Amino acid sequence: MTPSVRPIFDGLSKVLLGVSALGLLAMSAIIGWQVFARYVLNASPSWSEQASLVLMIWFVSFAAAAGVHEGFHIRMSAFADSLPAPWPSIFRRISSAVIVLVGIAMAVWGGELIWRTWSHVIPTLGLPRGVAYLPLPISGALMSIFALEDVFIDRPHRGPLGGTTVIDVEEN
Amino acid sequence: MELLVLLVTLAVLLLIGVPVAFALLGSTLVTFFMLDLPAIAVFQRMAGGLSTFSLLAIPFFIFAGELMHRSGIAERLVRVAEASLGRSRGGLGQVAVGASVMFGAVSGSAIASVSAMGSTLMPLMRERGYDADYAVNVTSTSAICGLLIPPSHNMIIYAAAAGIGVSIGELFVAGIVPGLLTGAALMVVAWLVGVKRGYPRGVFPGWPAFLRAFALALPGLMTAIIIVGGVLGGFFTATESSAVAVIYTILVAALVYRTLGPNMLMGAAIQAVKTTAMVLLIIGSASAFGWILALLEAPTQLAELITTVTDNPIIILLIINVILLVLGTFMDMSPLIVITTPIFLPIVTALGMDPVQFGIVMMLNLGIGLVTPPVGSVLFVGAAIGKIRVEDTVKTIWPFYGALFVALMLVTYFPALSMGLVDMMR
Repeated sequence: MTPSVRPIFDGLSKVLLGVSALGLLAMSAIIGWQVFARYVLNASPSWSEQASLVLMIWFVSFAAAAGVHEGFHIRMSAFADSLPAPWPSIFRRISSAVIVLVGIAMAVWGGELIWRTWSHVIPTLGLPRGVAYLPLPISGALMSIFALEDVFIDRPHRGPLGGTTVIDVEEN
Repeated sequence: MELLVLLVTLAVLLLIGVPVAFALLGSTLVTFFMLDLPAIAVFQRMAGGLSTFSLLAIPFFIFAGELMHRSGIAERLVRVAEASLGRSRGGLGQVAVGASVMFGAVSGSAIASVSAMGSTLMPLMRERGYDADYAVNVTSTSAICGLLIPPSHNMIIYAAAAGIGVSIGELFVAGIVPGLLTGAALMVVAWLVGVKRGYPRGVFPGWPAFLRAFALALPGLMTAIIIVGGVLGGFFTATESSAVAVIYTILVAALVYRTLGPNMLMGAAIQAVKTTAMVLLIIGSASAFGWILALLEAPTQLAELITTVTDNPIIILLIINVILLVLGTFMDMSPLIVITTPIFLPIVTALGMDPVQFGIVMMLNLGIGLVTPPVGSVLFVGAAIGKIRVEDTVKTIWPFYGALFVALMLVTYFPALSMGLVDMMR
Protein backbone atom coordinates (compact mmCIF):
# COMPACT_ATOMS: atom_id res chain seq x y z
CA MET A 1 0.00 0.00 0.00
CA THR A 2 1.57 3.28 -1.10
CA PRO A 3 0.51 6.79 -0.14
CA SER A 4 -0.77 7.27 -3.69
CA VAL A 5 -4.14 5.69 -2.82
CA ARG A 6 -4.96 8.72 -0.67
CA PRO A 7 -6.29 10.95 -3.49
CA ILE A 8 -8.37 8.06 -4.85
CA PHE A 9 -9.86 7.38 -1.43
CA ASP A 10 -10.45 11.10 -0.82
CA GLY A 11 -12.34 11.30 -4.10
CA LEU A 12 -14.32 8.11 -3.46
CA SER A 13 -15.29 9.35 -0.01
CA LYS A 14 -16.44 12.69 -1.46
CA VAL A 15 -18.52 10.92 -4.12
CA LEU A 16 -20.14 8.71 -1.47
CA LEU A 17 -21.04 11.75 0.62
CA GLY A 18 -22.35 13.66 -2.39
CA VAL A 19 -24.56 10.77 -3.48
CA SER A 20 -25.79 10.39 0.11
CA ALA A 21 -26.66 14.09 0.31
CA LEU A 22 -28.69 13.75 -2.90
CA GLY A 23 -30.41 10.78 -1.27
CA LEU A 24 -31.36 12.94 1.70
CA LEU A 25 -32.75 15.64 -0.62
CA ALA A 26 -34.72 13.01 -2.54
CA MET A 27 -36.07 11.65 0.73
CA SER A 28 -37.23 15.15 1.78
CA ALA A 29 -39.01 15.49 -1.57
CA ILE A 30 -40.70 12.08 -1.24
CA ILE A 31 -42.12 12.74 2.23
CA GLY A 32 -43.04 16.28 1.18
CA TRP A 33 -44.90 14.75 -1.77
CA GLN A 34 -46.68 12.36 0.60
CA VAL A 35 -48.05 15.30 2.63
CA PHE A 36 -48.94 17.24 -0.53
CA ALA A 37 -50.68 14.24 -2.05
CA ARG A 38 -52.72 13.61 1.07
CA TYR A 39 -53.94 17.16 1.63
CA VAL A 40 -54.08 18.49 -1.91
CA LEU A 41 -54.67 15.45 -4.12
CA ASN A 42 -56.60 13.51 -1.47
CA ALA A 43 -54.59 10.38 -2.24
CA SER A 44 -51.89 9.01 0.04
CA PRO A 45 -49.16 7.22 -1.88
CA SER A 46 -48.59 3.77 -0.37
CA TRP A 47 -44.96 3.51 -1.41
CA SER A 48 -43.50 6.75 -0.05
CA GLU A 49 -42.52 5.80 3.52
CA GLN A 50 -41.13 2.41 2.56
CA ALA A 51 -39.17 3.96 -0.32
CA SER A 52 -37.76 6.61 2.04
CA LEU A 53 -36.71 3.95 4.49
CA VAL A 54 -34.84 1.98 1.82
CA LEU A 55 -33.27 5.23 0.60
CA MET A 56 -32.21 6.11 4.13
CA ILE A 57 -30.52 2.75 4.74
CA TRP A 58 -28.66 3.20 1.45
CA PHE A 59 -27.39 6.70 2.13
CA VAL A 60 -26.57 6.02 5.77
CA SER A 61 -24.47 3.01 4.72
CA PHE A 62 -22.58 5.01 2.10
CA ALA A 63 -21.96 7.97 4.38
CA ALA A 64 -20.95 5.67 7.24
CA ALA A 65 -18.30 4.11 4.96
CA ALA A 66 -17.04 7.58 4.01
CA GLY A 67 -16.97 8.29 7.74
CA VAL A 68 -14.29 5.65 8.22
CA HIS A 69 -12.06 7.47 5.73
CA GLU A 70 -12.90 10.92 7.11
CA GLY A 71 -12.72 9.68 10.69
CA PHE A 72 -15.95 11.29 11.87
CA HIS A 73 -17.31 8.32 13.81
CA ILE A 74 -17.43 9.07 17.53
CA ARG A 75 -14.59 7.48 19.46
CA MET A 76 -12.92 7.88 22.79
CA SER A 77 -9.37 8.98 22.03
CA ALA A 78 -8.53 10.62 25.37
CA PHE A 79 -6.94 7.53 26.95
CA ALA A 80 -4.86 6.42 23.98
CA ASP A 81 -3.69 9.96 23.25
CA SER A 82 -2.54 10.46 26.83
CA LEU A 83 0.04 7.66 26.55
CA PRO A 84 3.75 8.28 25.68
CA ALA A 85 5.08 8.43 22.14
CA PRO A 86 4.75 5.23 20.15
CA TRP A 87 1.53 4.08 21.84
CA PRO A 88 -1.06 6.48 20.44
CA SER A 89 0.04 5.56 16.93
CA ILE A 90 0.03 1.82 17.72
CA PHE A 91 -3.46 2.05 19.22
CA ARG A 92 -4.73 3.97 16.20
CA ARG A 93 -3.44 1.22 13.91
CA ILE A 94 -4.99 -1.51 16.07
CA SER A 95 -8.24 0.41 16.09
CA SER A 96 -8.16 0.61 12.29
CA ALA A 97 -7.45 -3.12 12.14
CA VAL A 98 -10.58 -3.74 14.25
CA ILE A 99 -12.59 -1.71 11.72
CA VAL A 100 -11.11 -3.82 8.89
CA LEU A 101 -12.27 -7.02 10.64
CA VAL A 102 -15.74 -5.71 11.51
CA GLY A 103 -16.08 -4.46 7.93
CA ILE A 104 -15.19 -7.88 6.55
CA ALA A 105 -17.73 -9.51 8.89
CA MET A 106 -20.33 -7.03 7.69
CA ALA A 107 -19.52 -7.80 4.04
CA VAL A 108 -19.60 -11.59 4.50
CA TRP A 109 -22.55 -12.08 6.82
CA GLY A 110 -24.44 -9.09 5.51
CA GLY A 111 -24.08 -10.70 2.10
CA GLU A 112 -25.46 -13.97 3.44
CA LEU A 113 -28.40 -12.05 4.90
CA ILE A 114 -29.24 -10.68 1.46
CA TRP A 115 -28.90 -14.07 -0.17
CA ARG A 116 -31.36 -15.51 2.34
CA THR A 117 -33.91 -12.71 2.19
CA TRP A 118 -33.87 -12.22 -1.59
CA SER A 119 -37.09 -14.19 -2.00
CA HIS A 120 -38.95 -12.03 0.55
CA VAL A 121 -40.74 -9.17 -1.17
CA ILE A 122 -41.39 -5.72 0.36
CA PRO A 123 -45.17 -5.50 -0.25
CA THR A 124 -45.60 -1.79 -1.07
CA LEU A 125 -42.59 -1.61 -3.37
CA GLY A 126 -42.62 -5.03 -5.02
CA LEU A 127 -38.85 -5.26 -4.49
CA PRO A 128 -36.95 -8.04 -2.73
CA ARG A 129 -36.20 -7.32 0.95
CA GLY A 130 -32.55 -7.88 0.07
CA VAL A 131 -32.52 -4.59 -1.86
CA ALA A 132 -32.95 -2.75 1.44
CA TYR A 133 -30.07 -4.68 2.99
CA LEU A 134 -27.74 -4.64 -0.04
CA PRO A 135 -25.84 -1.49 1.07
CA LEU A 136 -24.79 -3.22 4.31
CA PRO A 137 -22.19 -5.57 2.77
CA ILE A 138 -21.14 -2.92 0.24
CA SER A 139 -20.55 -0.48 3.06
CA GLY A 140 -18.71 -3.14 5.09
CA ALA A 141 -16.36 -3.82 2.18
CA LEU A 142 -15.71 -0.09 1.66
CA MET A 143 -15.08 0.38 5.40
CA SER A 144 -12.47 -2.41 5.34
CA ILE A 145 -10.71 -0.94 2.34
CA PHE A 146 -10.68 2.56 3.83
CA ALA A 147 -9.51 1.35 7.24
CA LEU A 148 -6.80 -0.86 5.69
CA GLU A 149 -5.04 2.28 4.50
CA ASP A 150 -5.01 3.63 8.05
CA VAL A 151 -3.51 0.39 9.37
CA PHE A 152 -0.48 0.96 7.16
CA ILE A 153 -0.30 4.74 7.14
CA ASP A 154 -1.01 6.26 10.52
CA ARG A 155 -3.15 9.40 10.61
CA PRO A 156 -4.02 11.34 13.76
CA HIS A 157 -7.62 11.21 14.93
CA ARG A 158 -9.69 13.97 13.45
CA GLY A 159 -11.76 15.09 16.44
CA PRO A 160 -15.15 13.93 17.71
CA LEU A 161 -16.86 14.97 14.50
CA GLY A 162 -13.81 14.66 12.34
CA GLY A 163 -13.17 18.37 12.64
CA THR A 164 -15.59 18.74 9.76
CA THR A 165 -18.27 20.43 11.87
CA VAL A 166 -15.73 22.76 13.35
CA ILE A 167 -14.27 23.72 9.98
CA ASP A 168 -17.75 24.26 8.57
CA VAL A 169 -18.64 26.44 11.51
CA GLU A 170 -15.58 28.62 11.02
CA GLU A 171 -16.42 29.12 7.38
CA ASN A 172 -19.75 30.66 8.30
CA MET B 1 -18.85 -15.65 31.63
CA GLU B 2 -19.99 -14.69 28.13
CA LEU B 3 -21.39 -11.47 29.59
CA LEU B 4 -17.99 -10.70 31.08
CA VAL B 5 -16.32 -11.32 27.70
CA LEU B 6 -18.83 -9.04 26.00
CA LEU B 7 -18.36 -6.16 28.44
CA VAL B 8 -14.57 -6.50 28.77
CA THR B 9 -14.14 -6.65 24.98
CA LEU B 10 -16.29 -3.56 24.62
CA ALA B 11 -14.33 -1.69 27.31
CA VAL B 12 -10.95 -2.64 25.78
CA LEU B 13 -12.03 -1.68 22.26
CA LEU B 14 -13.38 1.67 23.48
CA LEU B 15 -10.18 2.40 25.43
CA ILE B 16 -8.00 1.63 22.40
CA GLY B 17 -9.98 4.27 20.56
CA VAL B 18 -12.12 2.08 18.29
CA PRO B 19 -15.16 4.13 17.18
CA VAL B 20 -18.20 3.37 19.37
CA ALA B 21 -20.22 1.70 16.59
CA PHE B 22 -17.38 -0.68 15.68
CA ALA B 23 -16.62 -1.43 19.32
CA LEU B 24 -20.27 -2.42 19.85
CA LEU B 25 -20.30 -4.63 16.73
CA GLY B 26 -16.84 -6.10 17.45
CA SER B 27 -17.68 -7.12 21.02
CA THR B 28 -21.04 -8.55 19.89
CA LEU B 29 -19.32 -10.61 17.17
CA VAL B 30 -16.69 -11.98 19.59
CA THR B 31 -19.43 -13.08 21.99
CA PHE B 32 -21.38 -14.65 19.13
CA PHE B 33 -18.37 -16.75 18.13
CA MET B 34 -17.90 -17.84 21.74
CA LEU B 35 -21.52 -18.94 21.95
CA ASP B 36 -21.21 -20.57 18.53
CA LEU B 37 -24.21 -18.62 17.24
CA PRO B 38 -24.64 -17.74 13.55
CA ALA B 39 -23.06 -14.30 13.00
CA ILE B 40 -25.64 -13.47 10.32
CA ALA B 41 -28.05 -12.76 13.19
CA VAL B 42 -25.88 -9.81 14.28
CA PHE B 43 -26.43 -8.08 10.95
CA GLN B 44 -30.05 -9.11 10.81
CA ARG B 45 -30.53 -7.29 14.13
CA MET B 46 -28.58 -4.34 12.82
CA ALA B 47 -30.65 -4.13 9.65
CA GLY B 48 -33.81 -4.63 11.70
CA GLY B 49 -32.79 -1.86 14.10
CA LEU B 50 -32.41 0.53 11.14
CA SER B 51 -35.62 -0.52 9.36
CA THR B 52 -37.86 1.36 11.77
CA PHE B 53 -40.22 3.91 10.27
CA SER B 54 -40.03 6.34 13.18
CA LEU B 55 -36.25 6.70 12.61
CA LEU B 56 -37.00 8.44 9.30
CA ALA B 57 -37.54 11.68 11.22
CA ILE B 58 -33.92 11.71 12.45
CA PRO B 59 -32.16 12.78 9.22
CA PHE B 60 -34.83 15.43 8.65
CA PHE B 61 -34.51 17.00 12.10
CA ILE B 62 -30.72 16.99 11.79
CA PHE B 63 -30.93 18.49 8.28
CA ALA B 64 -33.37 21.20 9.41
CA GLY B 65 -31.06 22.11 12.32
CA GLU B 66 -28.09 22.32 9.96
CA LEU B 67 -30.04 24.56 7.56
CA MET B 68 -31.16 26.89 10.36
CA HIS B 69 -27.62 27.16 11.64
CA ARG B 70 -26.16 27.99 8.22
CA SER B 71 -28.87 30.23 6.84
CA GLY B 72 -28.75 32.72 9.71
CA ILE B 73 -32.00 31.75 11.42
CA ALA B 74 -30.02 30.96 14.58
CA GLU B 75 -28.40 34.39 14.43
CA ARG B 76 -31.82 36.07 14.33
CA LEU B 77 -32.88 34.10 17.40
CA VAL B 78 -29.76 35.36 19.17
CA ARG B 79 -30.78 38.97 18.39
CA VAL B 80 -34.22 38.43 19.94
CA ALA B 81 -32.61 36.96 23.04
CA GLU B 82 -30.11 39.80 23.17
CA ALA B 83 -32.80 42.45 22.95
CA SER B 84 -34.82 40.86 25.74
CA LEU B 85 -32.20 39.37 28.09
CA GLY B 86 -29.01 41.35 27.52
CA ARG B 87 -29.50 43.94 30.25
CA SER B 88 -28.42 42.04 33.37
CA ARG B 89 -24.82 41.72 34.53
CA GLY B 90 -23.13 39.09 32.40
CA GLY B 91 -26.16 39.50 30.15
CA LEU B 92 -24.65 37.62 27.23
CA GLY B 93 -24.71 34.49 29.40
CA GLN B 94 -28.49 34.90 29.72
CA VAL B 95 -28.67 35.58 26.00
CA ALA B 96 -26.85 32.31 25.28
CA VAL B 97 -29.29 30.31 27.42
CA GLY B 98 -32.37 32.10 26.05
CA ALA B 99 -31.27 31.73 22.44
CA SER B 100 -30.45 28.03 23.00
CA VAL B 101 -33.94 27.48 24.39
CA MET B 102 -35.43 29.14 21.31
CA PHE B 103 -33.13 27.18 19.02
CA GLY B 104 -34.20 24.03 20.88
CA ALA B 105 -37.77 24.82 19.90
CA VAL B 106 -36.93 24.85 16.21
CA SER B 107 -34.32 22.07 16.20
CA GLY B 108 -33.56 19.10 18.40
CA SER B 109 -29.88 18.61 17.89
CA ALA B 110 -27.60 19.68 20.74
CA ILE B 111 -24.62 19.66 18.39
CA ALA B 112 -26.35 21.96 15.90
CA SER B 113 -27.29 24.18 18.85
CA VAL B 114 -23.77 24.51 20.25
CA SER B 115 -22.37 25.03 16.74
CA ALA B 116 -24.94 27.71 15.96
CA MET B 117 -24.81 29.51 19.31
CA GLY B 118 -21.07 29.11 19.65
CA SER B 119 -20.25 30.54 16.26
CA THR B 120 -22.61 33.53 16.68
CA LEU B 121 -22.18 34.32 20.37
CA MET B 122 -18.59 33.43 21.21
CA PRO B 123 -17.00 36.15 19.05
CA LEU B 124 -19.44 38.68 20.54
CA MET B 125 -18.62 37.51 24.08
CA ARG B 126 -14.88 37.74 23.40
CA GLU B 127 -15.31 41.27 22.09
CA ARG B 128 -17.07 42.36 25.30
CA GLY B 129 -14.50 40.89 27.64
CA TYR B 130 -16.06 37.53 28.55
CA ASP B 131 -13.62 34.66 29.15
CA ALA B 132 -13.50 31.83 26.63
CA ASP B 133 -14.16 29.15 29.26
CA TYR B 134 -17.37 30.90 30.37
CA ALA B 135 -18.52 31.26 26.77
CA VAL B 136 -17.93 27.57 26.06
CA ASN B 137 -19.49 26.39 29.32
CA VAL B 138 -22.67 28.38 28.98
CA THR B 139 -23.29 27.61 25.28
CA SER B 140 -22.47 23.89 25.69
CA THR B 141 -24.58 23.25 28.78
CA SER B 142 -27.55 25.25 27.52
CA ALA B 143 -27.54 23.21 24.30
CA ILE B 144 -28.94 20.43 26.55
CA CYS B 145 -32.22 22.36 26.79
CA GLY B 146 -32.75 21.63 23.10
CA LEU B 147 -32.86 17.89 23.83
CA LEU B 148 -35.86 18.45 26.11
CA ILE B 149 -37.73 21.13 24.21
CA PRO B 150 -39.55 19.63 21.24
CA PRO B 151 -38.70 18.61 18.59
CA SER B 152 -35.96 16.22 19.68
CA HIS B 153 -34.70 13.35 17.56
CA ASN B 154 -33.41 11.57 20.65
CA MET B 155 -37.01 11.33 21.87
CA ILE B 156 -37.77 9.48 18.64
CA ILE B 157 -34.94 7.04 19.34
CA TYR B 158 -36.36 6.58 22.85
CA ALA B 159 -39.90 5.99 21.58
CA ALA B 160 -38.55 3.37 19.15
CA ALA B 161 -36.50 1.69 21.89
CA ALA B 162 -39.37 1.70 24.39
CA GLY B 163 -41.60 -0.10 21.91
CA ILE B 164 -45.28 0.39 21.32
CA GLY B 165 -47.28 2.55 23.66
CA VAL B 166 -44.94 5.52 23.99
CA SER B 167 -46.24 8.39 21.87
CA ILE B 168 -43.79 10.81 20.28
CA GLY B 169 -46.39 13.57 20.58
CA GLU B 170 -46.66 13.03 24.36
CA LEU B 171 -42.88 12.97 24.73
CA PHE B 172 -42.72 16.29 22.87
CA VAL B 173 -45.27 17.88 25.20
CA ALA B 174 -43.69 16.37 28.32
CA GLY B 175 -40.32 17.94 27.52
CA ILE B 176 -41.51 21.55 27.43
CA VAL B 177 -41.61 22.36 31.17
CA PRO B 178 -38.44 20.41 32.07
CA GLY B 179 -36.65 22.16 29.19
CA LEU B 180 -37.69 25.61 30.42
CA LEU B 181 -36.81 24.62 33.99
CA THR B 182 -33.33 23.52 32.93
CA GLY B 183 -32.93 26.78 31.04
CA ALA B 184 -33.99 28.75 34.14
CA ALA B 185 -31.51 26.86 36.35
CA LEU B 186 -28.71 27.57 33.86
CA MET B 187 -29.68 31.27 33.70
CA VAL B 188 -29.34 31.57 37.47
CA VAL B 189 -25.86 30.01 37.37
CA ALA B 190 -24.82 32.07 34.33
CA TRP B 191 -25.89 35.21 36.20
CA LEU B 192 -24.09 34.24 39.45
CA VAL B 193 -20.85 33.44 37.64
CA GLY B 194 -21.23 36.58 35.51
CA VAL B 195 -21.60 38.78 38.61
CA LYS B 196 -18.66 37.11 40.34
CA ARG B 197 -16.41 37.69 37.36
CA GLY B 198 -17.68 41.24 36.90
CA TYR B 199 -18.85 40.89 33.30
CA PRO B 200 -20.43 44.00 31.77
CA ARG B 201 -24.10 44.87 31.53
CA GLY B 202 -25.81 45.13 28.17
CA VAL B 203 -28.22 47.91 27.24
CA PHE B 204 -31.87 47.53 26.33
CA PRO B 205 -32.14 48.62 22.70
CA GLY B 206 -35.70 49.93 23.16
CA TRP B 207 -39.04 48.45 22.16
CA PRO B 208 -38.90 49.30 18.44
CA ALA B 209 -35.59 47.49 18.08
CA PHE B 210 -36.89 44.55 20.09
CA LEU B 211 -40.01 44.24 17.97
CA ARG B 212 -37.93 44.52 14.82
CA ALA B 213 -35.64 41.69 15.97
CA PHE B 214 -38.69 39.63 16.84
CA ALA B 215 -40.35 40.25 13.47
CA LEU B 216 -37.16 39.22 11.65
CA ALA B 217 -36.95 35.99 13.66
CA LEU B 218 -40.64 35.16 13.36
CA PRO B 219 -40.50 33.16 10.09
CA GLY B 220 -37.81 30.99 11.70
CA LEU B 221 -39.73 30.57 14.94
CA MET B 222 -42.77 29.44 12.94
CA THR B 223 -40.93 26.14 12.37
CA ALA B 224 -41.56 25.28 16.02
CA ILE B 225 -45.28 25.82 15.57
CA ILE B 226 -45.35 23.76 12.37
CA ILE B 227 -43.55 20.81 13.94
CA VAL B 228 -45.14 20.68 17.37
CA GLY B 229 -48.56 21.95 16.30
CA GLY B 230 -48.59 19.65 13.28
CA VAL B 231 -47.86 16.55 15.33
CA LEU B 232 -50.17 17.40 18.24
CA GLY B 233 -52.98 18.53 15.99
CA GLY B 234 -52.82 15.23 14.12
CA PHE B 235 -52.06 16.91 10.79
CA PHE B 236 -48.70 15.23 10.37
CA THR B 237 -46.85 12.21 11.68
CA ALA B 238 -43.52 13.01 13.37
CA THR B 239 -41.70 12.02 10.17
CA GLU B 240 -43.91 14.20 8.00
CA SER B 241 -43.58 17.18 10.32
CA SER B 242 -39.80 16.88 10.22
CA ALA B 243 -39.77 16.71 6.41
CA VAL B 244 -42.14 19.68 6.23
CA ALA B 245 -39.79 21.54 8.60
CA VAL B 246 -36.92 20.89 6.16
CA ILE B 247 -38.90 22.12 3.17
CA TYR B 248 -40.23 25.14 5.10
CA THR B 249 -36.72 26.04 6.31
CA ILE B 250 -35.36 25.80 2.76
CA LEU B 251 -38.15 28.09 1.53
CA VAL B 252 -37.72 30.64 4.33
CA ALA B 253 -33.94 30.69 3.99
CA ALA B 254 -34.03 30.94 0.20
CA LEU B 255 -36.98 33.27 -0.33
CA VAL B 256 -37.45 35.30 2.87
CA TYR B 257 -33.96 35.62 4.34
CA ARG B 258 -32.27 35.14 0.94
CA THR B 259 -29.21 33.55 2.50
CA LEU B 260 -29.49 30.06 1.05
CA GLY B 261 -28.04 29.10 -2.32
CA PRO B 262 -27.39 25.72 -3.95
CA ASN B 263 -23.90 25.43 -2.45
CA MET B 264 -25.10 26.07 1.07
CA LEU B 265 -27.98 23.63 0.57
CA MET B 266 -25.59 20.92 -0.56
CA GLY B 267 -23.15 21.74 2.25
CA ALA B 268 -25.92 21.45 4.83
CA ALA B 269 -27.13 18.17 3.26
CA ILE B 270 -23.61 16.69 3.36
CA GLN B 271 -23.09 17.65 7.00
CA ALA B 272 -26.56 16.31 7.87
CA VAL B 273 -25.79 13.03 6.11
CA LYS B 274 -22.55 12.68 8.08
CA THR B 275 -24.25 13.26 11.43
CA THR B 276 -27.14 10.96 10.48
CA ALA B 277 -24.74 8.21 9.38
CA MET B 278 -22.86 8.50 12.65
CA VAL B 279 -26.05 8.37 14.74
CA LEU B 280 -27.77 5.59 12.79
CA LEU B 281 -24.69 3.35 12.49
CA ILE B 282 -24.46 3.53 16.27
CA ILE B 283 -28.20 2.80 16.64
CA GLY B 284 -27.89 -0.22 14.33
CA SER B 285 -24.88 -1.59 16.23
CA ALA B 286 -26.48 -0.83 19.57
CA SER B 287 -29.57 -2.83 18.53
CA ALA B 288 -27.36 -5.87 17.91
CA PHE B 289 -25.45 -5.27 21.15
CA GLY B 290 -28.64 -4.78 23.17
CA TRP B 291 -30.03 -7.99 21.74
CA ILE B 292 -27.05 -10.10 22.86
CA LEU B 293 -27.21 -8.39 26.28
CA ALA B 294 -30.83 -9.50 26.57
CA LEU B 295 -29.92 -12.99 25.35
CA LEU B 296 -27.37 -13.23 28.18
CA GLU B 297 -30.07 -12.06 30.60
CA ALA B 298 -28.06 -9.04 31.70
CA PRO B 299 -31.14 -6.82 32.12
CA THR B 300 -32.85 -9.26 34.48
CA GLN B 301 -29.66 -9.77 36.46
CA LEU B 302 -29.13 -6.03 36.85
CA ALA B 303 -32.77 -5.50 37.83
CA GLU B 304 -32.50 -8.24 40.46
CA LEU B 305 -29.27 -6.75 41.75
CA ILE B 306 -30.82 -3.31 42.15
CA THR B 307 -33.96 -4.62 43.82
CA THR B 308 -31.96 -6.74 46.29
CA VAL B 309 -29.99 -3.66 47.35
CA THR B 310 -33.13 -1.69 48.16
CA ASP B 311 -36.85 -1.56 47.55
CA ASN B 312 -37.08 2.17 48.23
CA PRO B 313 -38.28 3.80 44.99
CA ILE B 314 -36.43 7.05 45.71
CA ILE B 315 -33.13 5.22 46.07
CA ILE B 316 -33.79 2.96 43.06
CA LEU B 317 -34.37 6.03 40.88
CA LEU B 318 -31.20 7.60 42.28
CA ILE B 319 -29.21 4.43 41.49
CA ILE B 320 -30.56 4.36 37.93
CA ASN B 321 -29.71 8.03 37.49
CA VAL B 322 -26.18 7.51 38.77
CA ILE B 323 -25.64 4.48 36.49
CA LEU B 324 -26.86 6.47 33.48
CA LEU B 325 -24.72 9.49 34.42
CA VAL B 326 -21.61 7.31 34.70
CA LEU B 327 -22.33 5.49 31.44
CA GLY B 328 -23.09 8.85 29.82
CA THR B 329 -19.62 10.20 30.54
CA PHE B 330 -18.10 7.33 28.54
CA MET B 331 -20.62 6.82 25.82
CA ASP B 332 -22.71 8.80 23.43
CA MET B 333 -26.40 9.37 23.98
CA SER B 334 -28.03 7.34 21.21
CA PRO B 335 -26.44 3.91 21.90
CA LEU B 336 -27.23 4.31 25.59
CA ILE B 337 -30.88 5.06 24.82
CA VAL B 338 -31.11 1.95 22.63
CA ILE B 339 -29.25 -0.31 25.08
CA THR B 340 -30.49 0.87 28.48
CA THR B 341 -34.16 1.63 27.76
CA PRO B 342 -35.18 -2.07 27.67
CA ILE B 343 -33.17 -2.62 30.88
CA PHE B 344 -34.47 0.23 33.04
CA LEU B 345 -37.94 0.88 31.66
CA PRO B 346 -39.51 -2.26 33.25
CA ILE B 347 -37.95 -1.36 36.62
CA VAL B 348 -39.26 2.20 36.68
CA THR B 349 -42.71 1.31 35.36
CA ALA B 350 -42.96 -1.27 38.15
CA LEU B 351 -42.36 1.66 40.52
CA GLY B 352 -45.26 3.47 38.92
CA MET B 353 -43.31 5.94 36.76
CA ASP B 354 -44.86 6.78 33.41
CA PRO B 355 -42.69 5.72 30.42
CA VAL B 356 -43.07 9.26 29.07
CA GLN B 357 -41.59 10.77 32.24
CA PHE B 358 -38.73 8.28 32.20
CA GLY B 359 -38.01 9.34 28.62
CA ILE B 360 -37.59 12.94 29.77
CA VAL B 361 -35.37 11.86 32.70
CA MET B 362 -33.26 9.94 30.21
CA MET B 363 -32.95 12.89 27.80
CA LEU B 364 -31.71 15.19 30.56
CA ASN B 365 -29.49 12.58 32.22
CA LEU B 366 -27.78 11.41 29.04
CA GLY B 367 -27.72 15.02 27.84
CA ILE B 368 -25.43 15.77 30.79
CA GLY B 369 -23.19 13.02 29.41
CA LEU B 370 -22.80 15.06 26.21
CA VAL B 371 -21.02 17.83 28.12
CA THR B 372 -18.81 15.61 30.30
CA PRO B 373 -15.42 14.21 29.27
CA PRO B 374 -13.97 11.76 28.32
CA VAL B 375 -16.69 11.44 25.67
CA GLY B 376 -18.77 14.59 25.43
CA SER B 377 -19.39 15.56 21.84
CA VAL B 378 -21.27 18.78 22.60
CA LEU B 379 -18.59 20.10 24.96
CA PHE B 380 -15.88 19.07 22.47
CA VAL B 381 -17.55 20.95 19.64
CA GLY B 382 -18.08 23.95 21.95
CA ALA B 383 -14.43 23.96 23.02
CA ALA B 384 -13.30 23.62 19.40
CA ILE B 385 -15.35 26.66 18.37
CA GLY B 386 -14.16 28.61 21.42
CA LYS B 387 -10.61 27.56 20.53
CA ILE B 388 -9.72 26.41 24.03
CA ARG B 389 -8.81 23.00 25.39
CA VAL B 390 -11.51 20.83 26.95
CA GLU B 391 -9.34 20.49 30.07
CA ASP B 392 -9.50 24.25 30.59
CA THR B 393 -13.28 24.50 30.26
CA VAL B 394 -13.87 21.64 32.67
CA LYS B 395 -12.06 23.48 35.49
CA THR B 396 -14.82 26.10 35.68
CA ILE B 397 -17.85 24.16 34.38
CA TRP B 398 -18.89 22.78 37.80
CA PRO B 399 -21.58 25.37 38.68
CA PHE B 400 -23.25 24.58 35.33
CA TYR B 401 -23.13 20.82 36.05
CA GLY B 402 -24.72 21.70 39.40
CA ALA B 403 -27.64 23.45 37.69
CA LEU B 404 -28.18 20.51 35.33
CA PHE B 405 -28.06 18.04 38.23
CA VAL B 406 -30.61 20.01 40.26
CA ALA B 407 -32.91 20.07 37.21
CA LEU B 408 -32.40 16.31 36.76
CA MET B 409 -33.39 15.60 40.36
CA LEU B 410 -36.49 17.80 40.09
CA VAL B 411 -37.57 16.11 36.85
CA THR B 412 -36.95 12.65 38.36
CA TYR B 413 -38.86 13.17 41.60
CA PHE B 414 -41.65 15.53 40.51
CA PRO B 415 -43.67 13.71 37.82
CA ALA B 416 -45.99 16.71 37.42
CA LEU B 417 -43.20 18.69 35.73
CA SER B 418 -43.22 16.27 32.79
CA MET B 419 -46.71 14.82 33.05
CA GLY B 420 -48.75 17.93 33.93
CA LEU B 421 -49.25 19.04 30.32
CA VAL B 422 -49.52 15.43 29.08
CA ASP B 423 -52.30 14.64 31.56
CA MET B 424 -54.20 17.69 30.35
CA MET B 425 -54.02 16.26 26.82
CA ARG B 426 -54.92 12.66 27.66
